[in-house]
Amino acid sequence: MSLNGQVPNGSAQAPIEIPSLQTVIGINFGNSFASIAVLTKEGLAECIANEDGERQIACAISFHGEETYIGNEAKQQLVKNSANTIIGFRNLLGKKFSELPKDRSTSSAPVIQHPEVPDTPAYKVQVLLPAPSPLSPAASSLQTPRTNNTPAASQFATPRSEPIPAERVLTPADVTTLFLRSLLQSAEAFLGKPVDGAVLTVPGWFAPVQLEALREAASAAGIRVLQLLEDAGAAALCASANVSTIATTDVGPDRTQLVVDLGASSSSLSLLAVRQGLFHHLTQPAHHLEDVGGDVIDDRLLKFFAKDFTKKTSVPLKVAPAASDAVADLRAEARLRLALLHTKRTVAASSVGSGSSTATCAVESLKDGLDYTGSINRMRFDMEAAPIYASVVARAGELIQRAGLDWVQVDEVVYAGGSSCLPGLDATLAVRLRKNATTPFFTGTVAGGGIGDPTTILARGAALQARLLAEIGGGTAVEDERVRKAFEHESEHVEVKATARTIGVLFPEAAESGGLGGQWIGGIQAETAVPARRTYALEVDLGEYDVGGEKLVGLEVWEVKEGVKVEKVKPPKDEDEAPESEDEDEEEEVEVAERTISKEVYLGALAVRARQGRKRGSGWRASIEVQFLIEASGKLQVSAYETGNDGTKDVIVLG
Amino acid sequence: MTMGDIITLPVVPLPPPSDWKQEPSQGNSISPFVERKLIPVGPAYLAHVRRVVHDLSFEEHDKHVEEVEKRRRNLEQEEDEDDLGVGDEEETEDILSLDPKEWKKQDHYEVLGLSHLRYKATPEQIKIAHRKKVLKHHPDKKAGAVGSSNDDAFFKCIQKAHDVLTHPEKHRQFDSVDPHYDLLDTDVPTAQQVTKARDPNSAFFKLFAPVFEREARFSRKQPVPLLGEYSDSKEKVEGFYDFWYNFDSWRSFEYLDKEVNEGSDNRDDKRYTEKKNKAERARRKKEDTARLRNIVDVALSADPRIKRIKQEEKEAREAKRKNKTGPGGGLSKTQAEEEKRRAEEEAKAKEESEKTAKAEAKKAKAAAANAAKKARRAARAEGGGAEAS
Repeated sequence: MSLNGQVPNGSAQAPIEIPSLQTVIGINFGNSFASIAVLTKEGLAECIANEDGERQIACAISFHGEETYIGNEAKQQLVKNSANTIIGFRNLLGKKFSELPKDRSTSSAPVIQHPEVPDTPAYKVQVLLPAPSPLSPAASSLQTPRTNNTPAASQFATPRSEPIPAERVLTPADVTTLFLRSLLQSAEAFLGKPVDGAVLTVPGWFAPVQLEALREAASAAGIRVLQLLEDAGAAALCASANVSTIATTDVGPDRTQLVVDLGASSSSLSLLAVRQGLFHHLTQPAHHLEDVGGDVIDDRLLKFFAKDFTKKTSVPLKVAPAASDAVADLRAEARLRLALLHTKRTVAASSVGSGSSTATCAVESLKDGLDYTGSINRMRFDMEAAPIYASVVARAGELIQRAGLDWVQVDEVVYAGGSSCLPGLDATLAVRLRKNATTPFFTGTVAGGGIGDPTTILARGAALQARLLAEIGGGTAVEDERVRKAFEHESEHVEVKATARTIGVLFPEAAESGGLGGQWIGGIQAETAVPARRTYALEVDLGEYDVGGEKLVGLEVWEVKEGVKVEKVKPPKDEDEAPESEDEDEEEEVEVAERTISKEVYLGALAVRARQGRKRGSGWRASIEVQFLIEASGKLQVSAYETGNDGTKDVIVLG
Repeated sequence: MTMGDIITLPVVPLPPPSDWKQEPSQGNSISPFVERKLIPVGPAYLAHVRRVVHDLSFEEHDKHVEEVEKRRRNLEQEEDEDDLGVGDEEETEDILSLDPKEWKKQDHYEVLGLSHLRYKATPEQIKIAHRKKVLKHHPDKKAGAVGSSNDDAFFKCIQKAHDVLTHPEKHRQFDSVDPHYDLLDTDVPTAQQVTKARDPNSAFFKLFAPVFEREARFSRKQPVPLLGEYSDSKEKVEGFYDFWYNFDSWRSFEYLDKEVNEGSDNRDDKRYTEKKNKAERARRKKEDTARLRNIVDVALSADPRIKRIKQEEKEAREAKRKNKTGPGGGLSKTQAEEEKRRAEEEAKAKEESEKTAKAEAKKAKAAAANAAKKARRAARAEGGGAEAS
C-alpha cells in the first residue's frame, strides 16, 4: 500500500496472507525404531507411514556403492553389507568415545575413534563417489580454438568415468541428521506442505549434553525443534488425551500411572502421578533397563529357531552370539533376525485379534543354501519371553516400592515401544495389579491402531504436544515467550510443591459403624501439585424430607493417610472345579492387598442446608457440590453448597 | 482445568446421624508440601504455566479459557463452508425416478434441489448444489449397494441439469419456459377479483404484486419498478405503467424447439423443421407479449391509485379555484354552513372523479393499444431483421 492508503496502478503487491495454523508433527526417535505422527483434520494425532509403507521406521542407514539406504531397507543390508550399515546411533549422540563400552560385539558398522576429532565416536563406511563430470564439449571447444586442419569435436558428451571408491567418516550426529532429514521428507511428502516444527521424544535418562547434541542434529536436518519431550510424558499425554471418552474405564483425573516402555534395545519404567492432566514422576529418575528389551527376546528366539533348524537339517548353526569367525553363521543370524520381526508381529497380532495362535518364521537359504520354515506357538513363545517379562515386572515392583506405594495403588498401566505389544507381558503384569486397574489391553485400545497402541503412542503424544506448543499465543509477545520457555528442559516452572497427603471430606453416616464412620470422598489426592482445585458433584440422601423444608447435610474435612492392608485369605472355592482335584486339600493362602484409609488430622466441618430435595425412588435426594482449593502458599479452602444455590454455601479456610 | 471439569461421583452418602454436630477445627493444618518436578507436557501444564505467568487465579483463568474457546468457536463457524443458502431439499420419488432421456421435460432446478430459488439461484449456488448432489448420487457411491447397481439414471439427470444451468444461453432459455411458472402464468387475477374483494385497495396489491415480481425476471432493464403501494406518488405510478407498457423482455422459446430428426440427413427436412421452429418461436413470443400487455391492462384498470390520483388532482383544482373566489365571503359565513357546503362539494367531487376515472381508463386503454401496436411493429421489424440476416 502506498502512503495515502491507495494502491498505485500496476503495483504487484502480494495480498496480506492470513497466518494459518502451523504445520507441526511429532517424531518418536528411538534407538532402534522411529515413527512420525501428524495431526488430522479432526484434531487427532495419527501415525503415518513413510514412502516404503512402514510405520515403524528402523533407525538404520546403509551405504552401498553410490546408494544410501535409510530405514527398513537399510536393515536388509545387514545381511550382506553389514560393515557399511549403521544402527543404534542415537544412544551415541553427545557421548565421548571414551565413555562407550568397548566390549560390545556388533553386527553392523563398528564404532571407531574419529580419525581427526579427539575422543569422538565415528563410523567409517566405504562408499563410491561419483566421478567428476568431464568437461562439456562447449567448454573444451572454447579452450582449443578449432582450425581447419583439426576434425570437428564429437557432439556426444564424454562418458563419465567409473565412480571412485572412497571412505566416509560419519559421527553419530551426522548419521542422526541424515536420518531425521529423511523422516522430515516423509512427513512433508505426506502432508504436502513444509513442516513448521516438531516435537521429538527423548529418553528420560538423556543427559543435557545428549539433548543438546540431538537438538543440533535436528536443526541441521532442517527441523525446528519445539520441544524435546520425555518419552514417559508423551505416552502419558497420549494415553490421557481422551480418557473421558472411554466410558468403560473408571480412571478418574487423579491416578497413579505406570509407564512401561519396552523398546527393542532397551526399556524404561516410570511411575507417574497423573493429577488432572499434570504429570510428575513419583520416583526420580525413571528406571532405565539397558539389558531388557526386544533384542533379548530376539536372542532367545534365535536360539530356539537355530536349534530347530539344526534338528531339521542337521546343519550346525550357532547364533546369539554367532561364532565370530564364521561368516555363514553371522549372515544366517542376520537373516533370521530380520525374519523374526515378522514372526513377532504375527504373535502380537494373534493376541489382540483372532488370528491363529502359531506364528511362522521362514528364511530362504538360511545356511548352506538350505531354506528354513518353522513355527512357534503362543505357549512356546511365552516360555521364551517369560524371563524378560518377569524381570520387567520385578523391576516395576522395585520402582513402586521406591515410591512408597504398592501394586494395588497403581491405577493404570500405559505401554509404549514395539515390544510391549507382545502378548504375555500384560498378563504377567495383571497378576500383580488390582482387579480394576486399567491397561490398554484391558480396555481394548491396542488393536487396530487404537489410542493405546504402544508402537505409535510416543509419536502421537509428541504430535499432540506439538500442536499445543504451536497454539500458544493470545498474550503479549513477552508473556508468550515466557510460556514457551516453560516447556524447555529444566524450566523453573516444572519445580512445584505437591501435597503430601490426601485431603477429602467424610459424610458421617449413622448406619456406618465400622471403618471411617461414613462415606469418604478424596478431594485432593496426595502428590497433587499446588495450586490445585477440584470440584465434585454428588447426590446425597436426605432421609425424611418435606418439600420446601430444610435438611442438614454434614461434611467433615480430614487429612488422611492412605495405606495398604495385606490379608492372607483362602481363595474362594470354585464350584466348577472337579471335586477329585488333588490340589484342593493343600490350598494355599493367597495374599490379598487392599487399599486402606486412616483418618489423621481433623481440619473442620461443613454444614449445608439442602432446600431443593428431589424425590428419587423411595427417598429424597439433593445435589451437592464440594470444592477444594489449595494454594501454593498452603492455604486450603473447602466449600460445599447445594448445586445452583449459592445461598447454602459453607466455607472453611485453613492456613 | 475449568469450572466445567466438575467430577461427578456416583456415590450417595446417607444422612448424618441425628447427633452429628458441626465441630470447629482445632487449629490443625495440613501436612507440609513435598517438592516435585512436573513433566512439561499437556494442556494442564500449559494452564499451570499460564496461571503463573499471567498471575491469574483459577477463576480468572477459567474466564480467560472461556473467552478463548468462544473466539475459536466463532472462528470455526466463520470458516465453516457456507453453502450460500442452498440447503437440502427433499428428493421425492418422482424426481429420483426421472428418465435422463426425457431431460427436456425435467425441472432442472428441482433436480439440483434449487426449487426454492429458481431463477434467483446464482452461479455459485448452482455449483454448490450440483456438488452436493453429485456427492450423494455419484454411481461410485452406489457401487457397493445391493440392487441399485448400474442405476445412474438420476446422476445423468443431475449432470444434464448442471449442463443446462451453467451454460448462460441454455440457462436463459430454460428460465424462459420454466415449467414451474406455467400454472402461475395462466392464473392471472382479474379486475373483478379486485372489485369484489372486501377491501379492494389492499386486495389489488396483494393480487398483483407477485404477478409483476414474477414477470420482472424477464426484463432486460434492471432494476424493474415493482407495483409499489397505495400511497405512491403520481410520478411513480405513471413511471411504473410506462415501464411495463414498454417492457423489454429477453424471454425466448428456443427451449421448446422440436428436435431436428437426427436420423435424417435430409437438408430440406432440416430446413423445414428449422423454419417451423422459428415460426413457432415468433408465435410464442407474440403470445407472451400480448399476455403481459393484458396483465398490465387489467392492473391499470383495477389500480386504486389511479382513482386516488384523479381525486387528488381534482381536489387540488377545486382548492385553487376556491382560493381565487373564496377570500370574499368565506369569512363571514358560520361554521355550520361551511361544513354543509363542504359535504355537498365532496359528494359532487366524488361523482365527477368517477366519471373522470372512467375517461382516464378509456384513454389508457387507447394508449395501451397504441403501445401494443408499436411493440408488434417492432417485433415484426426484429423478426424481419433476423430473417434478413
